[in-house]
Amino acid sequence: MADTPEAIQKAKKLYAFIGLILFFFTGITVAVATIESLDFGGHGFGAADAIIGLVIASFKACLVMIIFMHLNNEKPMVYFLFALGLVMAFFCVWLIGWSKSDPIQYGNSTKADGFYNPDKPASDVHSKTEAKH
Amino acid sequence: MEIPFVVNARKDTGLNNSKVGIWLFLASEVTLFGGLFSGYLFLRIYADYPWPERTLPILPGLLNTFILIGSSVTVVFAWAALKMRQWRKFQVYMSITLICALLFMVLKGFEYDAKFNHQAVRILDDGPVNDFAIIEGHTHYAKLDHGEIHHADKNDEGAFKQNRIAIKASELTFALTRPVHDSYVTDLIEQAGGEDKFKLAASYAVKDPESGDEVVILEEGAPLNTDNLDLAEEGFIGGKSHDAKIRTAFLKGDWDTVRESGNQDAGWKVVMTDEWKEIQRESAEKMKGHLIGAAGSVTYTIDPPLLFHFDPDAVVNHSAEQLRLRDDTTIRGVFDVEGSSLPMAVDGIDLRFTAQRAVEEGIDPAVMIAGSWILEDPDVKKVWDAHQEWLRAHIEYLDKKSKDKGREGEDAYVPTESERYRVNWDQMVSYQRAGYTDIYQKAKNGELKKPNWIEGFTGPNHNNVEFLKAFPEIVVPRDKIGFESSFTPKWNTYYAIYFTITGLHGLHVIGGMIVLGYYLFFGRKMYESNPVWLANRVEIGGLFWHFVDLVWIFLFPILYLM
Repeated sequence: MADTPEAIQKAKKLYAFIGLILFFFTGITVAVATIESLDFGGHGFGAADAIIGLVIASFKACLVMIIFMHLNNEKPMVYFLFALGLVMAFFCVWLIGWSKSDPIQYGNSTKADGFYNPDKPASDVHSKTEAKH
Repeated sequence: MEIPFVVNARKDTGLNNSKVGIWLFLASEVTLFGGLFSGYLFLRIYADYPWPERTLPILPGLLNTFILIGSSVTVVFAWAALKMRQWRKFQVYMSITLICALLFMVLKGFEYDAKFNHQAVRILDDGPVNDFAIIEGHTHYAKLDHGEIHHADKNDEGAFKQNRIAIKASELTFALTRPVHDSYVTDLIEQAGGEDKFKLAASYAVKDPESGDEVVILEEGAPLNTDNLDLAEEGFIGGKSHDAKIRTAFLKGDWDTVRESGNQDAGWKVVMTDEWKEIQRESAEKMKGHLIGAAGSVTYTIDPPLLFHFDPDAVVNHSAEQLRLRDDTTIRGVFDVEGSSLPMAVDGIDLRFTAQRAVEEGIDPAVMIAGSWILEDPDVKKVWDAHQEWLRAHIEYLDKKSKDKGREGEDAYVPTESERYRVNWDQMVSYQRAGYTDIYQKAKNGELKKPNWIEGFTGPNHNNVEFLKAFPEIVVPRDKIGFESSFTPKWNTYYAIYFTITGLHGLHVIGGMIVLGYYLFFGRKMYESNPVWLANRVEIGGLFWHFVDLVWIFLFPILYLM
């Protein structure tokens, strides 16, 4: 973290630059989502668009954390506390994955795709469950 | 008392205590929002209805993203200014940060207001499966004049959204078991034009427990007011309380009888015996003369019958002859079909749910949609037909694009479900601008003109006279309304999670404003006595502010772009 006047002056230029990068990537996110020629994957919103949007958002978040929140130069305890929060947050998301492999609903299938799938008759689910037993 | 380690770092942690505190707090915040994002994911994956993709207007969200990023830069500049002992610059940067926060909340306010005023209706139909067609739009405003409903402007005195359930009432019964009538009673009296329009059908009397004589609490013909209802409720509750005491006393006596007879068993073993049943029967006979048995309701007559209008949220159920309010008040009379209908200007036709239900039932969606009630309206039909023309041109365009890029089979470009089965407000405007003619050709030539971003800043603008021409007027009879709501958490799980996350984020913005505003307006004294401490405090507040920005960085693409 900058402490001397010279270092702070230098850091301010970096903050402004990071701000511009964040503006730029926000624009990129919107462009990818709205401009037809920049549409990745299939037509319309799809997994590719979601991944691109979230990767850009994660990159922006990293910049904010590393530069604005000074995580590039912190004491080990801060990293520990922040990692603790992240682990808990990922645990919450992991719970969703857990529910997706619910053996009652999907017969231990990890390829579940929601409650309703017109291409997959309900009997398939039951037969899979029975086969496990 | 001096707080330790607020300026200097502790040896064991290498940090001052304030910093440890804020990071602990931020860790808990990461978990909190992680849980909410997880909730969003869960609701989206398991939604049994077409998830509203890219349904929010992007521009306000984009502006708010720029605003928050800008404020993140200025708050760190403010901290840097303090480190360099530049109070004036600190004031400037912190003021800009606060203005940004305020702007963010103002934009959010516009966005929320647009949602609260946007009506959605799911239509019930008599097809092979329930229709599930959805229309969106703005309800018209009305006001009451001597019980009659009249069209009104939004800003007229007493104007309300014309979404009411109406009944010409001749009798109403209040349940004294639910003593929460006040707001409904006040509304009923106001609508009727006086409490004397209601006459108590029969005297309300309760037996005196001492003498056994009937004590009249309300005389027959008494007017309706909250005081009278309170008296009746008091009498009813007094009677109930007395009866409860009598029942307890008799029950105690019954148990004593059992014990005296030598049966020491307790609980269900006794209750199951014939002996106990006999004791209970005899006891009930003896008890009759001691009970007050106060009536649990009072009925008022309205002669001549009067028209009443109720907010649908206040009505639990209704039929041709009566309706029931949330407090169990029953209103009998004749249901007013016309007064209960919902007139609105339609700015969105969404048949995705219909198509999904049709597929689930093994029916061709096109057949299902063709028989939809909303397409019986000629203006709506005109819009839908124009959309089919546009879709034809769009499919051709996508086919050509697939060929050009060598995509075939499952990889080929196809229209999205939204493009197939939903007509958005901006498309409606473009069809109207094209005069509903040659849409196919105009779409192919790129001649359809949608409104620009500014025109639809937070969604369809019903104050725009040109747009209004594009939005078909429709009157939905109450029996066609399967479910109706404005775009609030009540409408679907998307809006539930949208308001939960953005609302909580908004509260964080307000919290940040208070903390940073405190440093700006009350920090001068500390700056003069201990500038390092103030700089540390601003750094702590800034860390929280960056976190608020961080959450929005994810919220914007997830809610607005996906």
